[in-house]
Amino acid sequence: MEDSVATFQFLGLTFNPTNIISGLLAAIIVLVVVFVFSRNLKLKPTGKQNALEWVIDFTNKIVRGSVTNGDAPNFGLYAFTLFLFIFVSNQLGLFLQIGWNGVTYVRSPTSDPIVTLTLSLMTLMLAHFSGVKKLGFKGYFKHAYLTPFTFWLPISVFTELIDFLTLGLRIYGVIFSGEMLLKIIGNMAFSGGIGMTIVAVPVAFIWQGFSLFLGSIQAYVFVTLTSVYISQQIQTEE
Amino acid sequence: MLSHLVLGASNSLYLGDMLFYAIVFIILMWVIKIVAWGPVTKMMQERADRISNDIDSAEKSRQDAEQLAKKREEALKSSHAEATTIVADARDNGKKQREQIVTNAQQEAQTLKQNAQKDIEQERKDALKGAQNDVASLSIEIASKIIQKELNAQDQKQLIDSYIEGLGKQNESR
Repeated sequence: MEDSVATFQFLGLTFNPTNIISGLLAAIIVLVVVFVFSRNLKLKPTGKQNALEWVIDFTNKIVRGSVTNGDAPNFGLYAFTLFLFIFVSNQLGLFLQIGWNGVTYVRSPTSDPIVTLTLSLMTLMLAHFSGVKKLGFKGYFKHAYLTPFTFWLPISVFTELIDFLTLGLRIYGVIFSGEMLLKIIGNMAFSGGIGMTIVAVPVAFIWQGFSLFLGSIQAYVFVTLTSVYISQQIQTEE
Repeated sequence: MLSHLVLGASNSLYLGDMLFYAIVFIILMWVIKIVAWGPVTKMMQERADRISNDIDSAEKSRQDAEQLAKKREEALKSSHAEATTIVADARDNGKKQREQIVTNAQQEAQTLKQNAQKDIEQERKDALKGAQNDVASLSIEIASKIIQKELNAQDQKQLIDSYIEGLGKQNESR
């Protein structure tokens, strides 16, 4: 497997072209799918529209599962975009891995912790921002850090850090290990002659299927946890 | 190989990637909102409204129909009652009219009878009177005839007597 990453500096920031290409690709796929599926909207839905509405209903239901009804519509779009983006990102590497000169340019963006942690950070920022917006800064601070009592503050801060890390690293671990194992199976197929190839192909198929399942589950889990964290910040009564 | 697993193992954290992803995600969210989320949720909301409206209007029309049926039933009931009253009225009227007609007829018959009786009485009286007159005149006539006849016979006898007497005298004188 290719470990080397080609980084470049731009405006004093470090960029990884693999992540940029993969993320852009995932975003474009999501956009094209959503765009195509949302053409020709009718009051009586057919085919594509049904599918899109099913996904919207699905993510809305996830949000409504933890956020009370009054606030749920505010986070529907975020949950929908997040779900589709993570779902496509998770599956991207299973079907498409483009490497060139020993550098992989296209793979699952979510198999890089920096990407998943970015998404995790965005979720937590949204959650805390919503908390401040809803309860006011004083109420938010008291609710988020000084509950059940003042000395809870360090534990609360630590909990937030843990939330941030686990949310990002969970999905990264699953997707990265999935891809790595797929690569190992691939290497195995070409290493031991025709016999190994025959053995490796069904194993690769099985593992791809399982990764597909895991990727879907991880997208679902990520969105569910997102709504849970948001609801923790904006709901005072527990 | 494991160096990849360590966050920030390379000489610097990929802050650029983080920024890039955040921006890409926000742009994606924004475009999805414009392209799909807005129209689709609006459509879904419209559908939900439409369905609830339909349910409401169905409920309303059901109530209307119920009300109408009730009204109809009441109207039917009242029309039954009306028909009964009309028939009863007509019967009463007929009875009254019949009675009146009968009474009138009876009265008329009575009057006719009385008139007839009066006429008959009058006629009888007239007839009686006429008869009396007739009897009187007849009796007078009869009496006069009788008297005339007696007179005539006496006269004749006288005449005859006088004639005989004259005859005798004449005979003497000769």
